[in-house]
Amino acid sequence: MRIGRIMRAAALGGAYAAFAAPAIAHAQLGVQRQRNAPSVYAITNAKIVTVAGAPIERGTVVVRDGVIAAVGAAVQPPADARVIDGAGLTVYPGLIDANSSVGIGAVAAPAGDAGRGGRGGAGGGRGAAGPQQQTATAPNSIHPVGLQPEVSTVDLLSADAEALSGPQSAGITTVLSIPSSGIFRGLSAVVNLGGINAQAMVVKAPIAEHIGFTPSRGGGYPNSLLGVFSALRQTLIDAQHYGAEQAAYAKNPRGMRRPETDPSLEALQPVLSRQIPVVMEAGLEREIERALDLAKEFNLRVIIAGGEEADKVAARLKAENVPVLISMNYPRRPQASADADPEPLRVLRARVDAPKLAGKLQGAGVKFAFTDGGLTTWGDFLGNVGRAVENGITADQAVRALTLGAAEILGVSDRLGSIEQGKVANLTLMRGDLFGGRVSQLFVDGNPVEIRAPATTATSAANGAWTITVTLDEGEKPVTLNLQQAGEQLRGTIQGALGSSQISNGSIGPTGDVQFSATVTMNAGTEEARFTGTINGNVIRGTVAIVGHPQGTFLGTKPDAAPGRGGRGRPPAR
Amino acid sequence: MRSFGILACVAAASIAGAQQPVAKTAGPTLIKNATVLTVTKGTLQNTDVLLQNGKIAQIGKNLTAPAGAQVIDATGKYVMPGIIDPHSHTMADAINEGSLSVTSMVRIRDVLNPTDINIYRQLAGGVTTINVLHGSANTIGGQNAVVKLKYGREADEMLFPGAMPGIKFALGENVTQKNGQTAAQAQGRPLRYPATRMGQEEVLRDAFTRARDYKASLDEYKAKVAKGDKTAIAPARNLELEPLVEVLEGKRFVHAHSYRADEMLMLLNVAKEFGFTVKTLQHGLEGYKIASEIQQAGTGLSSFADEWSYKIEAYDAIPYNVPILLHHGVVATVNSDSDERARRLNIDAAKMVRYGGLTDDEALKTITYNGAVQLGVQDKVGSIEIGKDADVVIWSGHPLSVYSSAETTFIDGEIFFDKQKDLAMRDQMAKDRAALEAADRGRRAIVP
Repeated sequence: MRIGRIMRAAALGGAYAAFAAPAIAHAQLGVQRQRNAPSVYAITNAKIVTVAGAPIERGTVVVRDGVIAAVGAAVQPPADARVIDGAGLTVYPGLIDANSSVGIGAVAAPAGDAGRGGRGGAGGGRGAAGPQQQTATAPNSIHPVGLQPEVSTVDLLSADAEALSGPQSAGITTVLSIPSSGIFRGLSAVVNLGGINAQAMVVKAPIAEHIGFTPSRGGGYPNSLLGVFSALRQTLIDAQHYGAEQAAYAKNPRGMRRPETDPSLEALQPVLSRQIPVVMEAGLEREIERALDLAKEFNLRVIIAGGEEADKVAARLKAENVPVLISMNYPRRPQASADADPEPLRVLRARVDAPKLAGKLQGAGVKFAFTDGGLTTWGDFLGNVGRAVENGITADQAVRALTLGAAEILGVSDRLGSIEQGKVANLTLMRGDLFGGRVSQLFVDGNPVEIRAPATTATSAANGAWTITVTLDEGEKPVTLNLQQAGEQLRGTIQGALGSSQISNGSIGPTGDVQFSATVTMNAGTEEARFTGTINGNVIRGTVAIVGHPQGTFLGTKPDAAPGRGGRGRPPAR
Repeated sequence: MRSFGILACVAAASIAGAQQPVAKTAGPTLIKNATVLTVTKGTLQNTDVLLQNGKIAQIGKNLTAPAGAQVIDATGKYVMPGIIDPHSHTMADAINEGSLSVTSMVRIRDVLNPTDINIYRQLAGGVTTINVLHGSANTIGGQNAVVKLKYGREADEMLFPGAMPGIKFALGENVTQKNGQTAAQAQGRPLRYPATRMGQEEVLRDAFTRARDYKASLDEYKAKVAKGDKTAIAPARNLELEPLVEVLEGKRFVHAHSYRADEMLMLLNVAKEFGFTVKTLQHGLEGYKIASEIQQAGTGLSSFADEWSYKIEAYDAIPYNVPILLHHGVVATVNSDSDERARRLNIDAAKMVRYGGLTDDEALKTITYNGAVQLGVQDKVGSIEIGKDADVVIWSGHPLSVYSSAETTFIDGEIFFDKQKDLAMRDQMAKDRAALEAADRGRRAIVP
């Protein structure tokens, strides 16, 4: 029944296909489309924001065979084109999410799962954490998981339509897709969100090597931020040595012991030679400074991702020509519990200042683009860009950062980022405009993609104020944990009977396993406590390891997150 | 009235979240008519101290203030050198890399947090220099960072120029995980080697044997290059062994966490065998039992003022540990190992006047000059002497009194804590919070 409809819809042409078969993978439709449907489209009577030049108030864009064939006020639709009346629409270059895990086998609570298998009535915010990546393993690497820079998006990309529908609903046609999590997170690719198969989605690869600073969760080396830095440093030094040995051997193999092949160290050669940049995940001022220091130590081209305090390092970023990929996953006010301690001033300040970051970087002359930052509610993406516009950048600057600006930073502005003849036909059609309007339709590689309501994903499991009791050899200590999750990263504060500190080295796994460190002050002195546990719904529990003390435990809850209210998951206002 | 001073200081520290940027070019400051506790050269009554160009420029009576100098009337007040805490974990975003028995490759420098509020609180306790150490999870831990508490500056600017690089070692219970074994076994986690003090000795011997071999390979390469061999490829750098080679060459200090006399003797013997000196034994609560041996090894010791019997290996600790060591000629200090104790180190020193019979100067030395010696910066800080860094603190009364509190803390001649300014800052912070909360409530994301 359903299949019949698909076939019919496909024969009718791609533009209508997705309307008829909302639940079917676009990738499959793409196959049909390419075989049967013409691939020429003309969008007429639309406002066209080319980004390359001045906007065209009323004009036509012609798309042919995946490429923008013509654009202008006086352009006539060719005779073989399917014409889309664009009255009331604004056409933008396809929006680019400049740092994302989209397209990589996400281990998310599948959307709509609640309706299946009698698990209904669960309510929002329970169960597993938001969609996240598992750390991928490279075959034949002698380096531990998480320290394998050769892991590649090209090898791991999946054309799962469900996963793509979220970013598509936010007007995103293209992402910089990161293959893995961990420390060396692998080689990314610029990926179009649609194609007959995963490989057809790849626009360009490799784009960058990605470095996170998340300690290993298994307890093996490196299990702290200290070890993360020494592991990064030793691996880069080994890669330098490897390059020198390989070069010497290639020049004259006779009489020299053959250096062994190491795909991990091989993958770092274009990084060390500055052919490709490194994208480093760094948010706080000191994290950015550390990332820049490391890049300087090894003369790497660096891009900062996250960068919530990048404004404090703006002068250095400008001087060293380092772009910032700004997370649109702004911190949220935790659902406060009645007995929670008052928020530290700097947490409050960080939340209020988050939408001002783009404006400050613009003012300082630092290049930037936008990323989803592990956002689980795609409806917030454009809304949060809009808040940046309300807080210091112009709408034009925001559009540029979402299109050509991002393409320039990622080195793909020769093919993406503007509506110009000859560029890849990625288009975002808005009913109204980008800020306050509604995403109407996308073109990806010249193929139309219809928008479906964004899949409701689980909320970020860790977010919020947790009231917990830590049981140690010194007794029971009531504390408040304020957690903020972004992808696998976990930030926040601990306050109460163990003193007040920021948590560090925090991460959360796909199944809700959490770990983080905090400086705690006890009777016997100040110690570092390592919390390891799990989040299940509104309960967090686990163990606390403190050097020189017997193992402790912790157990706590947070107030129920009210589902369905408060703007989460709602599409932008029309 | 006087006790209010201490309370005010603590309260201020707990709310001062915003860092105040401090002017980088400090003009000269003349502190007039103070009781100056030089620590190394006795106590000077009614004396002026001139701070200029970041140094202590003059000490004397009726000094003339240079043009543009800030003049502080310190009549009835005390001036002493900034306190040095030889054992701290303040500012460390991570303290232990406990995954391996040897983690000499990790560096506290990589994880320093220059915004740690405890920096400010310790400035309010008259502390100016701290030795940020790796934790005691493993036999050979990470590299330390000696830091001046220049709150508001970047981490790089806070590193103490010219301080000797160091590394943390650890012996005893924390390393064998005596307290964590049962839990680890219950969870099926393998225990990290070593589980006994025998194993710790073996780890040390093994690591330094490897370091010796590595040094030999480096020397061999250098010799080849010196002979003009252009095909020689440098051995791969080994970040684990490099710092241990520096220890062997006397270029890096060893600060060894230890409690019991037997484990300390073991370490001193291993060090002798490999030809290096242990710079300090940290804690060393049974040091008094082997004071002569420690002195003969040229080793210092940094201890708690009290805290006896708080765990098995601390049972034999006594309040006379530091005084006995001092009387045997050991360079001994008192440390905090705690963000909280760190801002009351003057009281810890005072305890040894009461219980150990030390003179005031001897007691003050354990939190100033002796710490400078242990960190290799005795030519720069640790006493009030002309030419030394202007790291000085004005106290409301004698710093060994519980009724006294630090009023102004200078580092390199700049003020990094001032009690009057702190009081003024509280109003501003309350206003900041109110404004932020108003802005926060109005935000769009939570309004449907």
